[in-house]
Amino acid sequence: MAIEIRNVEKTFGAFTALGGVSLDVRSGELLALLGPSGSGKTTLLRIIAGLDHADAGEVSFDGQDTRDRAARDRQVGFVFQHYALFRHMTVFDNVAFGLRVKRKAERPAEMDIRRRVDQLLTMVQLSHLATRYPSQLSGGQRQRVALARALAIEPKVLLLDEPFGALDAKVRKDLRKWLRHLHDDMNITSIFVTHDQEEALELADRVVVMNHGQIIQVGTPTEVYDTPADSFVFDFLGGVNRLNGVVDRGVARLDGHPVRVDGEVGAEGPALIYVRPHQVELGVAPADGVPEGKWSARVSMVHAAGPVARVELDLAGRALEAQLSRDRLSDLALEVGSWCTVDFRHARVFPAKA
Amino acid sequence: MPADPHSRRPAVGEGPLTRVALIGLAILFLAAFLALPLAAVFSQALAKGVGAFMKGLTDPDALQAVKLTLTVALIAVPLNLVFGVAASWAIAKFQFQGKSLLLALIDLPFSVSPVISGLVYVLLFGLHGSLGPWLRDQGVQIIFAVPGVVLATVFVTFPFVARELIPLMQEQGVEDEEAAIVLGASGWQTFRLVTLPNIRWGLLYGVLLCNARAMGEFGAVSVVSGHIRGKTNTMPLHVEILYNEYNFVAAFAVASLLALLALVTLAAKAALEWRFADQIAAAKR
Repeated sequence: MAIEIRNVEKTFGAFTALGGVSLDVRSGELLALLGPSGSGKTTLLRIIAGLDHADAGEVSFDGQDTRDRAARDRQVGFVFQHYALFRHMTVFDNVAFGLRVKRKAERPAEMDIRRRVDQLLTMVQLSHLATRYPSQLSGGQRQRVALARALAIEPKVLLLDEPFGALDAKVRKDLRKWLRHLHDDMNITSIFVTHDQEEALELADRVVVMNHGQIIQVGTPTEVYDTPADSFVFDFLGGVNRLNGVVDRGVARLDGHPVRVDGEVGAEGPALIYVRPHQVELGVAPADGVPEGKWSARVSMVHAAGPVARVELDLAGRALEAQLSRDRLSDLALEVGSWCTVDFRHARVFPAKA
Repeated sequence: MPADPHSRRPAVGEGPLTRVALIGLAILFLAAFLALPLAAVFSQALAKGVGAFMKGLTDPDALQAVKLTLTVALIAVPLNLVFGVAASWAIAKFQFQGKSLLLALIDLPFSVSPVISGLVYVLLFGLHGSLGPWLRDQGVQIIFAVPGVVLATVFVTFPFVARELIPLMQEQGVEDEEAAIVLGASGWQTFRLVTLPNIRWGLLYGVLLCNARAMGEFGAVSVVSGHIRGKTNTMPLHVEILYNEYNFVAAFAVASLLALLALVTLAAKAALEWRFADQIAAAKR
């Protein structure tokens, strides 16, 4: 099901949660709403579900305005951040809830409900826990019960609020993959909210980056990561080095040397040069000074655990982080206190804020 | 290695002497102020033998007092059950103007002296009150009659259920209800299948406390009832009348019945807590 969101506004007292947001969700896609807390992403999700009313603007499902459709009639699956499982019901009864509360005319026979719930529990690999209560389950299991419960009513849209927020790192990675498969198998439109950029970039077909109640950028993970719309997106989507430079006659310069820049250089004057750590190129410092167009820095720390090594550098008094392969690190033979040359493969320039 | 004399003591906490002293003090206090009076009630009631005790209880006026007390509780408790659930539902799950005013109003019966509560009704519905003459013309008597007793009891026991439920419901939040609604449940289904089971233990405590107070209320009821023997006397009032007439055995016999009702209430609560301990623990999670 496709969802169109047009100029949706929502305020809570003096706080603007959503300031005129428009978005098209394509049928069958897995969409991430990514942003820091207070960016309005959860509010947007709740408005789509019908749990909150928009002050202005409209949300339509397949072209039909949803204003007069109450939450209970929207047929959306909603997975709450803390799962909101019914604690006095068994896993089975939790999953069966959505089927049992249907109006009499639409309610399946108890036998069919059993069959359907068994099917769902098999799908989320929890058949053996059907008679347990939520308090007897682990976080990952509760999460899957919540998913099965949401899917029981055969929703056209699946909405997930910070679906992995309350889980530990290992479980989180497993569930992420599993959710992706589930989404592909179910032929459903899914939207999930997260503040974890890694999660959004890995899992989603498209990422919607939000901040202060506005949508800043919409695109595939590659698009938003490689061509961030502004400094906020650049900053939010991963580790970044921010260096104070200047733009002088259309050329960005750092300590006098020109910086290779993707896209616009922007206005003349003080500027912030953004470089991702893996775009920092390190080289062996020659004995007779530094080559033209390069900077030199001193190594202040080397973290060599894991597949990628992180090197912290001191570039003329500025902290700079670089990421490089372990092989490259041993080729350069860098250690704390040694000198190396620095260059930037890609950089972006944004005007320095006053 | 020689045994360390300190190793038996918990690392954090008081020394054994302090502990014994504190526990002893608590028990002494309980015995002096709770157990002793209770024992006195029963011993006084039985002071002249079982025969006299039974006579005090089976006196027609006493029986009428018991009947009235149970009737009043039977009306006041369900009323306050419904009101308490409705008020706490509104306060805990919704944001609206005047919420703190409603909260303050719920606490009013706790903060006002019961005598004042009774007087309010006399001033409203009494013969010299604002609505009294009109009510008399309609042939309705509230003050010095059973309706007055019921009204005063309802007023005094007003906060018990709500006060028990509001913090519980506020802590539980609205996520469960939202989940139910998104899954297609109607408002009534949500309440019956999700909210009510979540609050049932708090609700039970509230009802038990409300019931205990409804049966035991003295001050407010005393003002509005008029102490008409065999008509508007509840058990606490009857106890007082008998006592003032120096009929100690009968007074304490009725008092012991009242105390017994309280003890049964407590026992019921303890039994339920013991029987459903796991569910109560689960509900708190």
